[in-house]
Amino acid sequence: MRSEEIVLRAEGIRKQFNGIEVLKGVDLEIRAGEVNALMGENGAGKSTIIKIISGVYEKDAGQIYIGGKAVEIKTRQDARRYGISVIYQELSLVPSLTVTENIFLGQEIMRRGLPDRRAMKNRVCALIDTYGFDLKENALVGSLGMAKRQMTEILKALSQDAKLLIMDEPTSALSAAETEKLFETMNGLTARGASVLYISHRLEEIYRMADRLTVMRDGSVVGILDKTEITPEKVTTMMIGRELKQTQKRSVRRSDSQCLEVKNLSYKKLLTDISFCAYGGEILGIGGLVGSGRTELIHCIYGSAKKSGGSITLRGKPLSGRVRRNIKNGFGLVPEDRRSEGFFAVLPVERNINIASYDFLSAFGAFVKRRQEIANAENAIDKYDVRPAMRNIPVENLSGGNQQKVVLGRWLSRDLNVLLLDEPTAGVDVGVKADLYSYIRELADNGAIVIMVSSDLEELTNVSDRILVVREGKIFAELTGGEATQTAVLLASSGIREAEGDAE
Amino acid sequence: MNNKLARKLITLALIVIIALIFGATTKSFYTLRNFQMLLREAAFIGLISLGVSFVIIGGCIDLSSGGIICFSGIVCARLAQMGAPGVVVLLGAVVAGCLCGAINGFCITKLKINDFVTTLASGYVFSGITLFLMFRDARGRIESPLIRSESFLVFGKHINGFYYITIAWIALAVIVYLVQSRTRFGLHVVSMGSSEKSSAMSGVPIGRLKFLTFVLCGAFCGLAAVFTVSYQATTYPNLGGGMGFQAVAACVIGGVVLGGGKGDATGAVFGSVFLVLILNGIYKYGLSTAWQYFIQGGIILIAIFFDALFGSLSQKRLELLSHADEIGTGGETLNAK
Ligand SMILES: Nc1ncnc2c1ncn2[C@@H]1O[C@H](COP(=O)(O)OP(=O)(O)OP(=O)(O)O)[C@@H](O)[C@H]1O
Ligand SMILES: [Mg+2]
Repeated sequence: MRSEEIVLRAEGIRKQFNGIEVLKGVDLEIRAGEVNALMGENGAGKSTIIKIISGVYEKDAGQIYIGGKAVEIKTRQDARRYGISVIYQELSLVPSLTVTENIFLGQEIMRRGLPDRRAMKNRVCALIDTYGFDLKENALVGSLGMAKRQMTEILKALSQDAKLLIMDEPTSALSAAETEKLFETMNGLTARGASVLYISHRLEEIYRMADRLTVMRDGSVVGILDKTEITPEKVTTMMIGRELKQTQKRSVRRSDSQCLEVKNLSYKKLLTDISFCAYGGEILGIGGLVGSGRTELIHCIYGSAKKSGGSITLRGKPLSGRVRRNIKNGFGLVPEDRRSEGFFAVLPVERNINIASYDFLSAFGAFVKRRQEIANAENAIDKYDVRPAMRNIPVENLSGGNQQKVVLGRWLSRDLNVLLLDEPTAGVDVGVKADLYSYIRELADNGAIVIMVSSDLEELTNVSDRILVVREGKIFAELTGGEATQTAVLLASSGIREAEGDAE
Repeated sequence: MNNKLARKLITLALIVIIALIFGATTKSFYTLRNFQMLLREAAFIGLISLGVSFVIIGGCIDLSSGGIICFSGIVCARLAQMGAPGVVVLLGAVVAGCLCGAINGFCITKLKINDFVTTLASGYVFSGITLFLMFRDARGRIESPLIRSESFLVFGKHINGFYYITIAWIALAVIVYLVQSRTRFGLHVVSMGSSEKSSAMSGVPIGRLKFLTFVLCGAFCGLAAVFTVSYQATTYPNLGGGMGFQAVAACVIGGVVLGGGKGDATGAVFGSVFLVLILNGIYKYGLSTAWQYFIQGGIILIAIFFDALFGSLSQKRLELLSHADEIGTGGETLNAK
């Protein structure tokens, strides 16, 4: 139901943070019934513009029109009144409330002056039913994993009759099936005449869903493409202003003596019997469904979760169950939930980069060597292209992708033996992704063991030398070389062995 | 069993245990008179901690309640001495409390001063103002004249040994419980305490809400002052001294977690009873002051230790639950397609 009617138009939106201009006159136009995709590098200003549209930030200059009329959106309520609902990149859920309470937070259904719990519950159950999400309406949000929180966030946005639904990287924590559901939902909404502003770094999603694509770079809109004009090359060149260097697969120099062996590992009821070896010099990918226990596996190795049984050895010696000891021995972990486990939101970038390295950044283990501390941080900021390149701003003020670079930088700037990655590039733009992969590769080439959990099939198959698929607490399949295709991983994740058919 | 319920039973069990110990080891513990006195004193701390619980659940802290009580106390006494009818005195004191709370709220939400520092400082300010307002004799020395206004002294009386302050406390506790658990205001306060940023993103009016919690806290302090001044038929500069910390302690003992988002009025009620039991039961032993302090402090530590223990246990349970949740359901979604 696309039409030429314009639901929302933003003109010349400008925004500064601490004197740095992050939006330099953004023009945005959303038509009725369309899916308008918004792409751009990390820090291009995508999240900022939608926060302005939805009344979280105040704009410095510019004008927003809704249905042709000039409007002022000063608060979240204003935005709601104009039919705008938003799924934010960093989730806006309250952990100690239930799913239902969260969905209706700030917009409770009232009856005789009191919140009508029954009505809200029914409404949420109905929503869960309609969208087929696997979610309980009375679950505490604090007890849910990332994917379910994301679903709650999505339901929260869908609970209102929105004319414009804005989604900031909604699929970064969803499984393929859930993503599919979300896409169906989007189609349903647009068929009804509502519009969607969709932000994602995943080109295949954009390719499939978008009617139009708006590309941002460095605080301004650099181009608008129609569905037919969207090609990967065009988009990436527009986004990063240069062509992408191709990552080529190369031969792996695997050193069998550098071996991390996991034997009969079990963890609570989630992992029952996991055995595998990871070798120095190779990148071992771990695939499987969201919630299949991959994250817990990584945490068991790192020492941040206590295994229930089995053994983990490095070069034949059993691993310590202590995180501190392991870090000393050259372990590093980039966790999935970067907000709560990965970085310290209010601390400046430099502390975040250095936090695990004070063993060599301090004299006698007590006095911080300030000069080296600064050098180390600046080095990492420069090498991993953290933007803005300032070591003093709190990490919470960085864009999502740049936060991820800081967490990666923390470990990559150390001399690592074992690097554990959990969804390492969630929210990172294509340009930086390619760079990060090359750093990870470099680390492996220097003989380190790299284990990478990823739900991004393209990443998993392109970056890993070998892939293990975890399913129902066990290693379901091992895919090497040519077998490691996206389809094979996907099938194995859901319990189908591709080879079975033709082998017999 | 429900976590919240379990948490309350812990405090309740502690109260029973302490009461049993006191009962077994002292003579006059199990007397009706003693219970009535204990309840009256618990009601004093209790009223304050009901107010403070709003602030703590909302994620802040209020240490100024002692000062607010002091100030409301002198407002009471002045009004009563001027011959104002009891109801007017009551309203006057509550308004005075609200005013103090509003000052706190203004500094914290508008001037963005840290809540701990604000309320610590404003507590002194309120006490200071009280000194200006105090009754003085001809030579300028502070005095505490007896209040004779009949209609005001009613508030300090009792029916069949149950003081009005106790009755008011229990009635208000029920109302506060309902407000915290059933109204939108209560829900928003919990969500603000649990995550201010997320709540703001969801359109919860943070500034207004926070301001209100401090005003409410002030109102409860004002009320507590009315009953106490009326019972003692006078006021003095040290009225409410130390109450700021005791009220916070009562809340924490009852499971209203510092940092916000957890606990409710029942916790504040149980916590107050527990605290009063400890603070006053000890006197019956005739111990030296040193031992009294030692034991009082020790028991409060133990109570908070139980709280911490419980916290870590329920955290474990939560983790288990979340895993069970994921094994049970998450795994099959792709097949369903
Ligand atoms: N609250 C804030 N204070 C200071 N600077 C900020 C704040 N929020 C964002 N910025 C800065 O604004 C710029 C744009 O950030 P924004 O989050 O909009 O990027 P983005 O396009 O969403 O990137 P990503 O793809 O990584 O999520 C970044 O350089 C970021 O550091
Ligand atoms: Mg963003």
